[in-house]
Amino acid sequence: MNIIGPDALVFGVDDVAACSRYLTDYGLQPVGVTSAGGRFEAVDGTAIVLAREDDPALPQGLGTASRLRKTIYGVADQATLEAIARELGRDREVKSLPDGSIESVDDMGFTLGFQVTLRRPLKPRAEKINSPGSTPQRDVNQLAVNEDADCSPLTLSHVVYFVPDEAKAAAFYTERLGFRVTDHLGGAGPFLRPQGTLDHHTLFLIQTPPQMKGVEHFTFHVAGPTALMQAGFRFVGKGYESFWGPGRHRMGSNWFWYFNSPLGCHVEYDADMDLHDDHWTGREVPMSPDASQLFLFQHREKWAPGGPPPGGVDAGHH
Amino acid sequence: MRLLLSSIDEIVDGDSRGFDPGATGRDTMFVVRQGSTLHAYLNACPHIDGAPMAWRKDAYLSGDRRHIVCHAHGARFDIASGRCVLGPCQDQALTPVPIQALPSGRIALATEPFNEATL
Repeated sequence: MNIIGPDALVFGVDDVAACSRYLTDYGLQPVGVTSAGGRFEAVDGTAIVLAREDDPALPQGLGTASRLRKTIYGVADQATLEAIARELGRDREVKSLPDGSIESVDDMGFTLGFQVTLRRPLKPRAEKINSPGSTPQRDVNQLAVNEDADCSPLTLSHVVYFVPDEAKAAAFYTERLGFRVTDHLGGAGPFLRPQGTLDHHTLFLIQTPPQMKGVEHFTFHVAGPTALMQAGFRFVGKGYESFWGPGRHRMGSNWFWYFNSPLGCHVEYDADMDLHDDHWTGREVPMSPDASQLFLFQHREKWAPGGPPPGGVDAGHH
Repeated sequence: MRLLLSSIDEIVDGDSRGFDPGATGRDTMFVVRQGSTLHAYLNACPHIDGAPMAWRKDAYLSGDRRHIVCHAHGARFDIASGRCVLGPCQDQALTPVPIQALPSGRIALATEPFNEATL
């Protein structure tokens, strides 16, 4: 089935104003946002959608602390949408919504939507680097560093769920919706790739106790490692709480930087993920800090090497 | 270690504020003020060892200010007891930090009776 990836995630939140400010500062564009919520779009139109937690139009919550209400997948065409409706209609309710999308649930109780994708084409904006031995990518006298560079989130990359039964949860996506398992992290769960993308994963499942069921994080791709560093550095500068990163994952090779959020989950910047097709043989790797990251930095206040500050008797303080 | 954290007037009534008494570069504890009552805990979610809880500087509470929230995964905690009432670490509790409100209104970090006159 030609599912491309998540087009939108819908959250029911207790503080729309705080979440709106957060997502805007993260770099998403508010579209039709009011005190009742609205859309926050990346460059390609993929989005986070906010509503008040008591909004009767929202699908039911998961009964945990998680605020995720719905994951809306973009699919290639109407035929795919109809095929999904037929397949899921065999054993569960599939609603047809007025906007032409369909709605159902997965085997863990997460509400899913499917729509013909709303993604807009992206213009090329890959980071250009100069590397000894390779043809320079930037023209002579062209500078790499731009303090005001646009580091906008380009497209919704992936969402990670805590699930009480990763094998059963994964079987729904592989057997019913045609997702492939790219790799499997032992003690956690599978990285899943739908057939309409080559991205290493658009969904990762982590086995947890039932009271944790919900979303661990979501993330948007930015243009490259420099955009990730620059976006995250700006976000820290606005007072947001770095949780993990910046660093680079092993599985998927994607650069990462995770932050706490008022949406009740982590929110990540992501860049430069591996691409895979059906010729790839999935890896089975036991969970460990080493399996999770190739390297990790921690943010610190901006600093420059030099002597102690004038009169700084305790400049050697550690 | 910085023994005097703040004055009570510097914490908005009903809200929270983070502190870094050990000058580590990150807030390691926070105080919630409810009128003249203060609740202080380590900034460390019991779900993940040492996980910082705010979503931005000093923001440790839910939208309605009725719960402490870990903004990593949304765990909600009772403000007075520190007990997790919903979320990954349900029935576990935050680690309280002993503090004292001094007669002057200042807040001191102290494990034993604190004599303001000797400061």
